[in-house]
Amino acid sequence: MNYEKTKVWGILLRLYHWSLVLSIIALVVTGFYINTPWTNTTLEGSVSFPMATMRYWHFLAGYLFTAAILIRIFLLFFGNRQERIWDFLPITSRNIKSLTTTLGYYSYISDEHDNRPGHNVLAGMSYLLTIVAAVFQLIAGFYLLFPEAATWQGVGNAIFGSQQEARFVHHLLMWYFILFGFVHVYIVIWNEMKSPEGLISSMINGLKFKS
Amino acid sequence: MKDKAANISFSSGISRRSFLKSCTLAATALGLSEAMIPKLIEAAESAQRPTVIWLHFQECTGCTETLLRGSHPDIGRLILDIISLDYHETIMVPSGHQAEKSLHDSVAKNKGKFILVVEGAIPTADNGNYCKIAGRTAIDILEDIGPQAAAIIAIGTCASFGGIQAAHPNPTGAKGVQEIISGVPILNLPGCPPNPVTFLGTVLHFLTFKRLPNTDKLGRPLFAYGRRIHDHCERRAHFDEGRFAEEFGDFGHKNGYCLYKVGCKGPETFSNCPAARFNDVDVWPVSVGHGCIGCTEPNFWDSMTPFYERLPQVSIPGTGIVTDADSAGKKILGVAAAGAAIHAAVGIGKSVIKKG
Ligand code: HEM
Ligand code: SF4
Repeated sequence: MNYEKTKVWGILLRLYHWSLVLSIIALVVTGFYINTPWTNTTLEGSVSFPMATMRYWHFLAGYLFTAAILIRIFLLFFGNRQERIWDFLPITSRNIKSLTTTLGYYSYISDEHDNRPGHNVLAGMSYLLTIVAAVFQLIAGFYLLFPEAATWQGVGNAIFGSQQEARFVHHLLMWYFILFGFVHVYIVIWNEMKSPEGLISSMINGLKFKS
Repeated sequence: MKDKAANISFSSGISRRSFLKSCTLAATALGLSEAMIPKLIEAAESAQRPTVIWLHFQECTGCTETLLRGSHPDIGRLILDIISLDYHETIMVPSGHQAEKSLHDSVAKNKGKFILVVEGAIPTADNGNYCKIAGRTAIDILEDIGPQAAAIIAIGTCASFGGIQAAHPNPTGAKGVQEIISGVPILNLPGCPPNPVTFLGTVLHFLTFKRLPNTDKLGRPLFAYGRRIHDHCERRAHFDEGRFAEEFGDFGHKNGYCLYKVGCKGPETFSNCPAARFNDVDVWPVSVGHGCIGCTEPNFWDSMTPFYERLPQVSIPGTGIVTDADSAGKKILGVAAAGAAIHAAVGIGKSVIKKG
């Protein structure tokens, strides 16, 4: 068989993707710890600082997460053709068709596969939703991190009402990211098996195969 | 005695020593330098004595009680000494028509100059019928008197944000003062109750500097609500070090470890409790082994209950399930996993059929 390679994802997008993966895993693990510290020492005078350490890693990963999201938002407007928002907003007839094709394909109704280089529109929409969720998550995070800073206080109070409500939303959104991660990985593997186009390796080397 | 708050039922007058002590305490609470204390004392001694009208709406009178009957009688008396309290239902002598008359006389005489203190939430549902004084609804009284004041101090969480009365489903439509009145400077002193020192500090600040103290974005004075409980808590070292009480009465609890895991809301709450403390014996909830319940925050009750859990409960729409966020998350993730398994099984089934 004759495979043709096409360049799909730029280096920034791939960096964004893996930074996001890494930071979300770190944030979920440390986030669970912050909510319910599962270690409990009765050793006094020790210097292990588990809670302080977990919070430190949470904030570090939080900054990585924030950087990744800012890069993605930049690429939505200034990235390559596949990376821009117009490529997967269901506003053109090509994109609306992609949405219906993909829905049919995913629900086993038809075998027609949307053979576009970038995201299919269903995936693109779920990524957009995730970026919006991420923006709220990081605003909540910074509001919790700098509760006394007037700017964050203004923004946070306007969106969430109070620290406790922001914390609640922050926690619920964590479950959104867990859920997204699960569904995302399942669908990527499913796609890779149904129509091998190098979906997974494309996030590493930027290349997809045309079938 | 005539001008010395003649309406008030007990005579004031405190010793010079207590007077200086209370002023110093207030200066400390305000975070003022030592050099400012004489100015504060001078302002407290001056004969200006701003007129204060104190309105009670949907409340328990706990804020007043804390102010007057705590083990800080001097603070309560000092306040009565430096202000001219013309109307206060709990402690005034007149009643009935006489009381009403002193209210209206005072408002008319001091229009635009008096300080209005509001204690309690204001019910707004059903035309405000759930709270009436002298035949008028609370909202009617507030809308009448509020705009005529120089400034309004909302004392307690109820007057600030609605408080317990505003808890879901808020049958009386209880609201805080700032949701009803605009155009007059409003200062919120939330807390259930707020520390008397906070009120004294506010009054002395007003007397000394002729304006209300600086506030955060929720209208709470920064001197009392600028910092988080958690950042000034004596148990904080245990938090960072991961030493927690798992339940009340266990080893960690007996040894004074952090109360985070039994629901302490200190990390989300702004107040001077750990610094100002209560009752002359330097206690506050966390120091006696109970977590902070977050009473100074907006939506207190709905967002701070259950008191012994870290986060509010989630109700999953359409199922009647009310549970904590993590069980809800696990349930939803379980449904998603089941969905994925069915999806994969259908795919495998279809390819098997095709091959067959
Ligand atoms: C996918 C992204 C994230 C997840 C899943 C996540 C998860 C969590 C969780 C579960 C908590 C504990 C809340 C609780 O239940 O009490 C938490 C706390 C917190 N998070 Fe995040 N978080 C994320 C992103 C961020 C970001 C971007 C920041 C900003 C730097 C941040 C800052 C914080 C802060 C300051 C706290 C409070 C910690 C404390 O004061 O003890 N988070 N996070
Ligand atoms: S007891 Fe409460 S306020 Fe004190 S350190 Fe623990 S969580 Fe923070």
